[in-house]
Amino acid sequence: MDTLTNGTKISIQGVTKIFSGKRDEVIALKELSMDVQDGEFIVIVGASGCGKTTLINLVAGFEAPTHGQIILDGQPVTGITPECGMIFQQYALFPWKTVQQNVEFGMKMKRMPQKERQERAARFIDIVGLKGFERSYPHHLSGGMKQRVSIARSLANDPKVLLLDEPFAALDAMTRQVLQEQLVRIYEKHRKTIIFITHSIDEALLLSSRIVVMTARPGRIAQEIVNDLPHPRNADVQLSNRYMELKRTIWDSVQAEVMKSMEVETH
Amino acid sequence: MKIDSTAKSLTISIVSLLIFVTAWELVCRLGFIEPLFMPAPSKILFRAIKMIDNGQLIAHTLASTRRVMVGFMISSLVAIPFGIFLGSSRFFMAVFDPLISLLRPLPSMSWIPLSLLWLGITETQKYSIVFMGSFAPSLLYIIEATKSIDPLLIRAAKNLGASKLDVMREVILPGSLPQIIAGLKVMLGIAWTCIISAELVAAREGLGFMIMNGKEYFQTDTVLLGMVMISITVMIIDVVFRKFERRLLPWTR
Ligand SMILES: Nc1ncnc2c1ncn2[C@@H]1O[C@H](COP(=O)(O)OP(=O)(O)OP(=O)(O)O)[C@@H](O)[C@H]1O
Ligand SMILES: [Mg+2]
Repeated sequence: MDTLTNGTKISIQGVTKIFSGKRDEVIALKELSMDVQDGEFIVIVGASGCGKTTLINLVAGFEAPTHGQIILDGQPVTGITPECGMIFQQYALFPWKTVQQNVEFGMKMKRMPQKERQERAARFIDIVGLKGFERSYPHHLSGGMKQRVSIARSLANDPKVLLLDEPFAALDAMTRQVLQEQLVRIYEKHRKTIIFITHSIDEALLLSSRIVVMTARPGRIAQEIVNDLPHPRNADVQLSNRYMELKRTIWDSVQAEVMKSMEVETH
Repeated sequence: MKIDSTAKSLTISIVSLLIFVTAWELVCRLGFIEPLFMPAPSKILFRAIKMIDNGQLIAHTLASTRRVMVGFMISSLVAIPFGIFLGSSRFFMAVFDPLISLLRPLPSMSWIPLSLLWLGITETQKYSIVFMGSFAPSLLYIIEATKSIDPLLIRAAKNLGASKLDVMREVILPGSLPQIIAGLKVMLGIAWTCIISAELVAAREGLGFMIMNGKEYFQTDTVLLGMVMISITVMIIDVVFRKFERRLLPWTR
């Protein structure tokens, strides 16, 4: 699958993020620059604490960069924008709303007529394979089902960009694989621009069109790798030499940064 | 298994109540206690039958219940939106904080003289006593409840396009509702103490009036009947409130 690159979707320009506490300050990101093309599936990997979450929180507008700026569709990001749909590791579903009401939430905020949003929600619930659970409350669902509701909720709101912060990390291997396949299908069909954070190199190789390895804190970009593995990325692809080669490259790169971050911590 | 054990504890409770009442009756019948100080349960029961017959008991109970309900409803209807608003705005919280801090320690009793001066012995005065007694503490409960909300949910709502008002209505209100209701249940008990004290001081009907009036005529059985009626009414309202709570919070089931 070739990525449709009709221009730059997100441009991260010299972004530094400093968290100042009472005594010390943490430089989470330092002069990080990166462009994301329209329709790319970017996967970010890097040592724990290197600033991955901080980076996508900045893109979503949850926080403001200390220096530099982020441009989305030619406009600087100045606040929380529904254009960037965020999918959280902890699902963040509204416990008092049913699956249907959760998925309708964004459309309700847009004041879409009830009938229209009901139909649209039903369609996305179907896409993520949760037909029949419309009237369930989140606490009756398994982790995998909750994450699917969260994906449906985001998609139904039709964001231009999907941001996913380790969305499948809390799920078992089987569920994770099902959701990965579902996400790839959604990506191919709806052509969203996606930024996805993971700790799993296999997940990165399965999903991405480009992999970004971040350095230990303060986070910058250590390496960018275009993932040219053919689709579908089935068992054959996963056993191919190219897969192994890419995996080794990324592994070495991440490993080096993890070592660095451990050294920093022990000193 | 579970039903079995609840049935068991219910049986134990009933037996214990029967033993207590019988012992009380015996102590009175055997003349250990002066009837003026403590009438036997049977005398209270006779008084109850008499007062049900002439309609007074129901009238007093309904009068107090209505006052509590009206005062408490008005207080809650103002306190809930206001509390949610204050809980989500640091600025207005700072503005109103001194006023709330001043009002909160005042017992409802301390408002009785002023309210009588302003409103006389009227129904409005009764409602205002309940309101003054329950408003400030309710407000604090509600503000506290808004702090229990997972900030991630607020983030998620904003990410889906929610405005500030949307966040209050769609996230903060339902998210803090279980705790608001728990707080209001406590406040309902406080509302009852408010109304009884107001009626003890100045009223022409109500359970507090009935108790005070019984004392004036040395009818200790009327006094005790009034007290028993307060307990029973509060218990019934608590059960009704619980039913209502379950319907308001379907997701907690
Ligand atoms: N709100 C905050 N206040 C202070 N420091 C913060 C805050 N958020 C993050 N940090 C710090 O910034 C650094 C980067 O954090 P971040 O959560 O972005 O890392 P991460 O790459 O997502 O890590 P992980 O893989 O463990 O999720 C960490 O050292 C963290 O302690
Ligand atoms: Mg993180």
